[in-house]
Amino acid sequence: MRSFYEVCAVLRRRNAKQYALLAGCCFFSVLLITAYVCMMRSPTVLSVLPEGGDSRKQVMMIFVLAVIGCAVFTTYAAGLFLRQRSRELGIFMALGASRAQVRGVLQRELAGVSVISCVLGAALGMPLAWALWSLFRTFLVDTQEMALRFDYRAYILSAIFSLFVILTTLSLGARSVRRTNIIDIVHEQHRSEPVREVPRRWGAIGIVLVLVGVFLGYMSSNFFILVLHWYPPEGLSAVFYAPALVGLYMLLLHTVVNGWGGRRRKYRDLISTSMMKFQGRQTVRNMLVITVLVAGAYFGSFYIPMIGTGAMMRYDAREYDYLYFHRADQDIPGEDEVRALAREYGVEITSFAEASTALLAVDGTHTVEVDGPMGVTWYPEYIEVFTAERFLSESDFNALTGQALDVPAGQAAAVLDSDGSTGYGFDTGISIVTNYLTGERLDVTPYQGAALRYQSLAQHYVLDDADFELITRGLTDEWREHKVVFNVENDEQTYDFAKALFNEIVDRSGPEVEVYDSWDPVIRDRNLAEDGYYFLDRESLEEAGEVTIDYTQRDSSNFRLSWKYMPQFRVLDKADFVKTTAVYLMLFVFVAIVCFSAVMVIAYTRCMTIALTNRQVYEDLRRLGAPGKYLYRSVRGQVKRVFFVPIFTGTLIIYVFYLMIMYFNGSPAGITGDEAAGLLASIGVIAGVSALLYGIYRLTLGKVCSSLSVKRRT
Amino acid sequence: MLKVENLHKSYQVGKNTYEVLKGVSLNVEQGEFVAVMGPSGSGKTTLLNCISCYIPADSGSIRLGGTELARLGEDELAEVRNRKLGFVFQDFLLLDGLTVEQNILLPAIIGGSVSADVENRASQLCEVFGIAAIKGKYPAEISGGEKQRTAVARALINNPLVILADEPTGNLDSKSSRAVIGTFEQAKSGLGSTIFMVTHDSFAASFCDRVIILRDGVVWRTLEKRDAERTAFQDALLASISEMGRQ
Ligand SMILES: Nc1ncnc2c1ncn2[C@@H]1O[C@H](COP(=O)(O)OP(=O)(O)OP(=O)(O)O)[C@@H](O)[C@H]1O
Ligand SMILES: [Mg+2]
Repeated sequence: MRSFYEVCAVLRRRNAKQYALLAGCCFFSVLLITAYVCMMRSPTVLSVLPEGGDSRKQVMMIFVLAVIGCAVFTTYAAGLFLRQRSRELGIFMALGASRAQVRGVLQRELAGVSVISCVLGAALGMPLAWALWSLFRTFLVDTQEMALRFDYRAYILSAIFSLFVILTTLSLGARSVRRTNIIDIVHEQHRSEPVREVPRRWGAIGIVLVLVGVFLGYMSSNFFILVLHWYPPEGLSAVFYAPALVGLYMLLLHTVVNGWGGRRRKYRDLISTSMMKFQGRQTVRNMLVITVLVAGAYFGSFYIPMIGTGAMMRYDAREYDYLYFHRADQDIPGEDEVRALAREYGVEITSFAEASTALLAVDGTHTVEVDGPMGVTWYPEYIEVFTAERFLSESDFNALTGQALDVPAGQAAAVLDSDGSTGYGFDTGISIVTNYLTGERLDVTPYQGAALRYQSLAQHYVLDDADFELITRGLTDEWREHKVVFNVENDEQTYDFAKALFNEIVDRSGPEVEVYDSWDPVIRDRNLAEDGYYFLDRESLEEAGEVTIDYTQRDSSNFRLSWKYMPQFRVLDKADFVKTTAVYLMLFVFVAIVCFSAVMVIAYTRCMTIALTNRQVYEDLRRLGAPGKYLYRSVRGQVKRVFFVPIFTGTLIIYVFYLMIMYFNGSPAGITGDEAAGLLASIGVIAGVSALLYGIYRLTLGKVCSSLSVKRRT
Repeated sequence: MLKVENLHKSYQVGKNTYEVLKGVSLNVEQGEFVAVMGPSGSGKTTLLNCISCYIPADSGSIRLGGTELARLGEDELAEVRNRKLGFVFQDFLLLDGLTVEQNILLPAIIGGSVSADVENRASQLCEVFGIAAIKGKYPAEISGGEKQRTAVARALINNPLVILADEPTGNLDSKSSRAVIGTFEQAKSGLGSTIFMVTHDSFAASFCDRVIILRDGVVWRTLEKRDAERTAFQDALLASISEMGRQ
């Protein structure tokens, strides 16, 4: 061995583990980010997440979280690597190696490790995304729209991230040998960043700040919009979440430095607490990242159980197994045809009813947006002809429901969901009903009797028969709808029949009703008059590059969830729910997987780092005669803190956040039945994930123990 | 050869500043064998680290053979460390990943000149220090004294003009200590090397031409051997040290 190069090669072989860890972290983070980006930018996924919609924002938000998480942990991995190597480099320099010589060697190694692992990670990212996706398709759901297509431009983002990883690694490397104090470089490995004393009250203050921040953050945009009539610029409400982050930092700092045990346990935990303290800042930052990632992952994971349970409960709450409705000018199957089809499929129809509804305009409050010096503000403007709503006469209502409702003349009875919630944008207090064609107008007051709850007819209004007759006079078929309801024997076994009937209805629908459910003829006329276009018209949508309602895509989630005349067949909806929401399901599950893997890797590497840097301490303690049980308890104390504190905090925060959302959404404020069920289902998800994380904790604990040669006890 | 003037160095720990060297001045002639003694924590290691520019001094001047070290560029400084200085660290600073022999050769390898001559010299040094049998072992597998001897051999491999040794005999029995002192004397007589050695050991110090005693960050006293007997010089050293202890 005669050259410096050979010396480095020998050392590289001896330190293979350190290189492997760095390479592994770079590889893993680029792999995850690439897979995520491929998924997120895939046309398949994009077509499901509406532009500017909440779900796309959420996906974006969680992506940002994942990027931050991955960036932080590769930075730490690089830092750890350089720390481990600093002694060697310092000794080289002390023995007269020039800085350029040392830097050259280091940079070549870092570049080699990071470039290779990033390229590998980026190359395998897309296959990983594809493999995960296929796994879902095999085991969960498979629909035509789920064939995953990739947009190769996704690799631009992946390349940017890889570049970031490589450049950070290199610049950290350059920084580590730049210092003039060679003795400091030599001793870098043993240097720690102790955190200073933290007052004990920080724990409590932290908790309060977290709660305040979460509440303020969530409420701020409501406050701006509803109270100040001002649309805040994007991202402003994020500022209001800031106290939560500060609180979280204080909370974790308190946990790391003081612990929650109180003074009684001061000496028992002295060693593990003081070790944590000396790892202080990095550990706290790691824990912060874990907390945020856990919160993000759960935020994604709850989406499906929340929506799913709610939807299932609403399906069950329907009074009829089958309900379909259509504009009266459409040629859709009548009773004879339905019965014939039922016979063909061996389905027995037990009851059958039909009714007609009318589309009438109602009054309401319109928000007028104005562009001012402050950005967009709004003011409410009451208009007498606001939107079109569905109306029933009391006898038709009674025919469908079997009730004996009598609405007094001059009153309009609003039908609520079976659990009493009104649903989005449904006004129970209308006062003017207008026939849009004739201009005939009827003044009404809200129905004085008990509130009407009927799931299958929710968001309809019921009028007195005479009133109905008078006000709907002169309406054309375009303004009338036909509603058919029936029950069958053994509803659960009639899927094929339901599917056939659904196809029949879609096949016979004309292009004029190929529209979104929020397409409203009254709003359309107003928009056309004011702006010259209506955003829900087919041409406008196509022009804006948005997804349209399309009969050929009748099994897509978009169609199933948003077609204006989508039949409500319980068996079909239930069976297809998972399918129609499959893309959401996949995406959020995928996000959760990414976040939780990042959490596991970060927690694992952090624990191993603590073990590495404290090996000497444990050696000394053993020599001082510390019993094995004591050593084990101290090791477990540290691993536990790294795992449990952030995971517990993150879980709790996001659960409280969800509770709050559920409480404040919809009117009146409160938790409805299906929200409660969703929240319960989310607890199930938490239990499952927690079990998995507990497994990882046990695994890490085992690894740490064996690396410190501490015997594991039960 | 080595001239230190009014050297100041303080450490910053948190908000506190600890002044360790408070104006140290000393002068070592070419070919002189000088020892530095002083109580633990008096700043001996700090002084050596400043002299070799491992840590930046706050103020003062350090001249090596007429060149002001602080003025040298990085590469020149590295060159000086590699070719002209041999450093024995108090905590050895051996590379765990290299064998004893490889560690000894490291300065030569870094300098880029490993000839058969150098390899011979390494074997010779191993023989002299009695570590030939453990040449192939790694630092984790050898004793503290063996590490120390390895560190001394490494300092000597490039035939340095100035040897800066921080307690090179601290862990050694008297026979090994003699071997280390012997090689220093050899370097002095054979190559005209200058040796600047920190030690707590009055026996080792008694072989030197001059002993500088540090206390509270300044030079407290300098004792010259001149033509005195070694044992007499050692007695004089012990007398000074106990005097310092009484004050
Ligand atoms: N990196 C550092 N940061 C802060 N203080 C330091 C540092 N290095 C040394 N000191 C302090 O400076 C003083 C002198 O240290 P130095 O190592 O020079 O002592 P010394 O004379 O070599 O002692 P010994 O004989 O025990 O080796 C000591 O009080 C020590 O605590
Ligand atoms: Mg010292």
